[in-house]
Amino acid sequence: MVKEIESAGLPIVHMCTVVPISLTVGANRIVPTVAIPHPLGNPALSREDEKELRRKLVRQALKALETEVEGQTVFEQ
Amino acid sequence: MRLEIGNINIKDVQLGNETKVEKGVLYVNQEELAKVTGDDDRIASVEVYLAKPGEETRIIPVKDVIEPRVKVSGPGGMFPGFISKVEQVGEGRTHVLKGTAVVTTGKIVGFQEGIIDMSGPGAEYTPFSKTLNIVVKVDPVDGLHQHEHEAVVRLAGLRAAAYIGEAGRNVEPDDVQVFETKPLLEQAAEYPDLPKVAYVYMLQTQGLLHDTYVYGVDAKRIIPTLIYPTEVMDGAIVSGNCVSACDKNPTYVHQNSPVIHDLYERHGKDFNFIGCVITNENVTLADKERSSNMTAKLVELIGAEAVIISEEGFGNPDADLVMNCAKIEKKGIKTVLITDEYAGQDGASQSLADSTPEGDAVVTAGNANEVITLPPMKTVIGYPEVADVIAGGSAGSLKPDGSITAEVQVITGATNELGFGYLTAKGL
Repeated sequence: MVKEIESAGLPIVHMCTVVPISLTVGANRIVPTVAIPHPLGNPALSREDEKELRRKLVRQALKALETEVEGQTVFEQ
Repeated sequence: MRLEIGNINIKDVQLGNETKVEKGVLYVNQEELAKVTGDDDRIASVEVYLAKPGEETRIIPVKDVIEPRVKVSGPGGMFPGFISKVEQVGEGRTHVLKGTAVVTTGKIVGFQEGIIDMSGPGAEYTPFSKTLNIVVKVDPVDGLHQHEHEAVVRLAGLRAAAYIGEAGRNVEPDDVQVFETKPLLEQAAEYPDLPKVAYVYMLQTQGLLHDTYVYGVDAKRIIPTLIYPTEVMDGAIVSGNCVSACDKNPTYVHQNSPVIHDLYERHGKDFNFIGCVITNENVTLADKERSSNMTAKLVELIGAEAVIISEEGFGNPDADLVMNCAKIEKKGIKTVLITDEYAGQDGASQSLADSTPEGDAVVTAGNANEVITLPPMKTVIGYPEVADVIAGGSAGSLKPDGSITAEVQVITGATNELGFGYLTAKGL
């Protein structure tokens, strides 16, 4: 899906836990996430801390979306 | 570490007044077995059934399959950390009631439990259609959480297998096999001219009911480590996982791992089986990186020149498989991978979730998405309606006549990634 949307000319960010798979399938903007069962959250955190975590991940993804890339790029935290 | 496996060949199993082996027949005291199996306040009921090869019997949903064994000499007992104390096992002598298996069934825990058919087309896909099965149907009290339910049934199955295994304690085995791995430096010196081959044994540890235990420890919490292969034969590794039935390793398969047995078979002839590393398949990238780094380091440390890596399950563990492969190859050590495929019902899709150019020697156990129709059976032990919800099935899988149309994924052991099965492919 990431590649299809990109080939239509839209920049796209792949948020995922297993970055190597994302690299293998050819995503160009990759934001690493938390864990496979809960990519965008963390049940071990308090509600407040989890909200902050989610906000950070979304901000990171938006930043990746705005960034020009030359080839595959992983946007670490 | 040297272990003798004494196989007591069992020709038949019958219910009787006393649990014993006599002239190759295993008699099981049904009441006593139910009592031992149900010895847990969280269990509401236990029922005992027999299911033999060729019968028109279906067992559904199958949780685990366990081989009855008993430790007759050497330290420790069966299933250390669960049934016996956490003693080091893998030495001395163990008796096996060969040809029998304990199969646990009961209300469904998760959605990834299996089917065993004792005859018909489904029987060809599961190795447990050829065993004399003592089926314990264990149902818990109301109100348990899923993870408690899983633990209750897992432990009940181990108790049942240990209880039945005791019947072999004082029986003279029909044959005795000897397996031995020496301390590393001695082992390396024993066959200095043969290539050193190691085994990387990946254990399913995705959590959320997909877990494996080593000496009672949840393997997602281990750092990859070395294990004598004989420890595994004494029940050091126990399945607690509800990953898809076709490619999880039931406890029976750990006890009888074909990879370990075949490596021993050619040990000292074609190569020097130098050691075994157990590792996990966790759900964060940091865990995957750490475990694959440690695994690669350990196989290098023990001086392996080639490694067999087996996966358990599919999906994100494919990434662990590929990381293990790439990191070990990078050290100049050859790898062969054993996996299965989820290539779609037509077999045309990508088989694994990840890949690497280093993975140039791969053995497949088959495509789990292949569709099969299992005919109705005269007897169904368990809860047939779960055919619609277990992985590989879908709404309408169970037909009004009792037949089931689903992917082979639903069949226990259908694409086992240790090669524990009877189906093979031949080139034309």
